[in-house]
Amino acid sequence: MKTESKLMRYIVPAALMLAGVCFIVYGATDGEAFAVLKKAIAICMECIGLG
Amino acid sequence: MKNVILWLFGLEESALSDPTVVAGIITSFALIAAVLALFIVLLVKKRFLIHRWGHKVWSRTKLLIQSGFFILTNSFMVGWFKGTIYQGKLKFMCVPGMNCYSCPGAWGACPIGAMQAIFDEFDASKSWLDPVSGTYVQAPLYWIAFYMIGILMFIGALCGRLVCGLLCPFGWIQDLLYKIPVKKLKLPRDDRLIDKSRNPKAVRFWLGVDKYMRYLKYAFLIVMVVFLPLIVKANPWFCKYVCPSGMLLGGIPLMSMNSNLAAAAGKLTLQKLLILGGIVGLSIFLYRPFCRYICPLGAIYSFFNRFSLYKYGIDDSKCNRCKGCSVCASSCPMGVDPVKNPNHPECIRCGTCNSKCPQKAIHAGFRMKTPEGSAIRTRKQK
Repeated sequence: MKTESKLMRYIVPAALMLAGVCFIVYGATDGEAFAVLKKAIAICMECIGLG
Repeated sequence: MKNVILWLFGLEESALSDPTVVAGIITSFALIAAVLALFIVLLVKKRFLIHRWGHKVWSRTKLLIQSGFFILTNSFMVGWFKGTIYQGKLKFMCVPGMNCYSCPGAWGACPIGAMQAIFDEFDASKSWLDPVSGTYVQAPLYWIAFYMIGILMFIGALCGRLVCGLLCPFGWIQDLLYKIPVKKLKLPRDDRLIDKSRNPKAVRFWLGVDKYMRYLKYAFLIVMVVFLPLIVKANPWFCKYVCPSGMLLGGIPLMSMNSNLAAAAGKLTLQKLLILGGIVGLSIFLYRPFCRYICPLGAIYSFFNRFSLYKYGIDDSKCNRCKGCSVCASSCPMGVDPVKNPNHPECIRCGTCNSKCPQKAIHAGFRMKTPEGSAIRTRKQK
């Protein structure tokens, strides 16, 4: 039976998760998290079909 | 303690003089505690292990997990009681599933809405006057939404479309609707079953239609979530013109509790209600039509099914496919054949195949080994 290599099984997901954390930190420091917060704390008129 | 609660709930001190707000805070804490207790019980009883239980127990457990997660992420009861939304600092974080941030109970932001919100930001110093239209053209501040890509990449690499199967509130609602006992639209997937059907030609035609329509969700992702908000006009296009989740979780509760909002309803409200009605109606007959054909979030997570840490795998030494068994393929509500590809992009990891397999040949988890210690196949069948 052909099984998955360790690279695909653990290293690729771990690398993707690490890259994800780096992107989150970069995006948050660049003000993207604030943009999300700003939009999310007000009622989104477009989302509820009013706007 | 009081300050922490006020910060957590995003409230001013004066709000505590309102008994509705206090009742909302207490109910929120009670609900969160109840859900956490439920999850601890499930964990202790090892209900998260699909194999140990039959399909009946797993489908109930799944419903409990979905309901619990919905309550956990939408338990800002002050919003439900007062017809407002949560305005605290926790909202910079995203929930993993399609959960509108305008839902009165939502603690977090919707990933798709948040991505469009980032693309909607514009750089005032780089805006210019278009001489043809006479309007200002706004240059986007962010061409790449690193923050959102990071969050989705992390969740996707951890568990892929398990989010769709167990954690998405709109998926849960579609699951509930599909439980209504009427005749379902279900096509056989296995070649032998197709040949045995009354009209194999028609079945193959509709299978083809279904297959190509599933690519629509990638088109929604590229066009309505990325391209249009970024290039054409700063607007949350998907949320505004398509998203039925926003209408169901945000629009209907808010408009029913707030007469000012209800008075502002117009053509767009009707359009979104029609889309929602269509999806709700179709969900009774077809399993998760929104997830199959429209959901851009599912489209993103589908890329990660192949690479996620949580995986599905087949123990080929136990599988009886060669002897004519196709229980997994015929029971899969998303129309995937797990034996051919246990980590297919369309698999939402609902655990149906896993719990129904008479041979216990399908495994799910972070550790791809059988209890006996032998390895299992996570790749496509050759």
